[in-house]
Amino acid sequence: MSLLSPRKSWLGLLLGSAAFFSAATVQAAEPVLQTEQSDVVTLKPYSPHTILVEDAVYTHNKDGRVDVVDADRGVLLGMVQAAYNPNMVLSPDASHFYVGETTWERGNRGARNDLLAEYDSQTLKLTADEKLPSRALVTPKRNDMAISADGARVYVYQMSPANAVQVVDTKEHKVTHTVEIPGCALAYAWGNAGFSSLCGDGTLSNVSVEADGKASVTHSAAFFAPDKDGIFEQSPSVAKDGATYFISYSGKVYPTILSANSVVQPAWSLQEGAGLKPASDATAPFEVTWRPGGWQMSALHKDTHELYVLMHRGTFWTHKDAGAEVWVYNTDTHKRIRRMPLKVASTMVGVTQDASPLMFTTDDSGDFFISDARTGKLLRTMKGLGTSLIFTVAPGEG
Amino acid sequence: MLPSEHTQKTEQDVSLFDRMTESVLRHFAGRTSRRGVVARLGGLAAAVPLFPLLPVSRASAAAPAAGKAASKAPTPFGAKAQVKDANACDYWRYCAIDGNLCTSCGGGVHSCPPGTAPSPTSWIGSCYNPQDGNSYMIAYRDCCGQDSCNEVTCLGTDGDQPSYRPMANNDIIWCFGTGTSEMYNCSTAAVVGKAS
Repeated sequence: MSLLSPRKSWLGLLLGSAAFFSAATVQAAEPVLQTEQSDVVTLKPYSPHTILVEDAVYTHNKDGRVDVVDADRGVLLGMVQAAYNPNMVLSPDASHFYVGETTWERGNRGARNDLLAEYDSQTLKLTADEKLPSRALVTPKRNDMAISADGARVYVYQMSPANAVQVVDTKEHKVTHTVEIPGCALAYAWGNAGFSSLCGDGTLSNVSVEADGKASVTHSAAFFAPDKDGIFEQSPSVAKDGATYFISYSGKVYPTILSANSVVQPAWSLQEGAGLKPASDATAPFEVTWRPGGWQMSALHKDTHELYVLMHRGTFWTHKDAGAEVWVYNTDTHKRIRRMPLKVASTMVGVTQDASPLMFTTDDSGDFFISDARTGKLLRTMKGLGTSLIFTVAPGEG
Repeated sequence: MLPSEHTQKTEQDVSLFDRMTESVLRHFAGRTSRRGVVARLGGLAAAVPLFPLLPVSRASAAAPAAGKAASKAPTPFGAKAQVKDANACDYWRYCAIDGNLCTSCGGGVHSCPPGTAPSPTSWIGSCYNPQDGNSYMIAYRDCCGQDSCNEVTCLGTDGDQPSYRPMANNDIIWCFGTGTSEMYNCSTAAVVGKAS
């Protein structure tokens, strides 16, 4: 016998049914969205494939930027402003990066500020914002700025218009030296306290940074003929051991160990390493053959001793033409070991430094191409990543 | 071995015409944007009907002389340069220019657009004029104070040296001492003397 009266029993059934259908309705509907708090992403520590890409934005130069890219996924992770022909370097441990930039207080007018901004690589927050005495305003090349092997110093090339290099202490955040380098340009870092510059008389200027704002300078003997066959400013260089491969317009490679007494070894030929005859220099400018060219026209994979060079067919004085192919050389044997035609000619090539390296190229529309550096196979394209992508920096390059 | 490598090794067998055509097309492709090509094709389409009316069309009788002069050109750029259109990248004075043509920005070959100021210093090129067969020193003075004009952009690299030879380098922003923000707007190409 029921403990409920018939009327109560009917009521209980009704309430139970209502509860059942009500629950079913709730289950079928979208869940109510929870209130959200705005927050900011913090990036993971950089992998070997987390890279920086410099976009100089030639169409409106004051709006340059540095992009942080996950090259494994082809995804933009973040960006920072990098105004007016900027430069950038990544610290050896990839924890920070530095942007050299120039602004005017009222946009295109007012007082000029030359700045060295230091960013935390994971938060992209400013950790220092140093005012510089000057910096070179020139279409950006990697070696307009450099960082020492231990990351303690950043070297900023200035042209005002006298040539000099400022040494910035990255711990104290101050300029400790301004070293004049008359007749010379750029900064190729070596070790923890030195850099070399290329000079207009075919020599190298080697600067040892010393305490108390002092520096000592030596000059190497002339090793190239500037009037006949200039050296690409974007020649790849490694701060840790000073290993540098100066590449000439015609395709000569001068292996060099930079130091206070830089040693330049005899040159070898990119063309000869590929079974061709050496290319002509400015004395025979009409000869058409394969030649190095572009903007950031070469990259180095340190562990495998592989030198990547953008190559095109052309006459002498086509040293800024985009490369139709990437030729890869073993720097020990001086032989070409791979030849990788590009789907789209590129003025830039970059490589990561790990055992599964990626290669980066671009086009004149700001697309960014990510390829397997060992085969040249295009893995992914970042369409319209920027406007004027001119070089990359990957962890461990220095 | 790739097909193009075979081509390289038998280069002597390839006709001069083929090599020149390839060179010119590669040069053109490497230096031009799609927008620039469309603009120039449009300009060509508009200009073609006018050519018979202009005196220059009657100068065709002088073509053999011009060809002779071109053969004296000291560089590949000079050999294919033209003397009529200062808004095109192959205009003879632009053999070492890098940047925006002031002729397309409201200025002229030696005039800055309004609102900008000319740089007192410059980089210097030596360009071959196929019309008279002479080479001239060209001062590429930048016009400064406004951001990049960015209409017709050209890159000539005859004699272009790295920045360790600043007077022959076309990457440097030559806006020193203009009294402006030193922001680059466009480049002019003034004749400053005969080079040969």
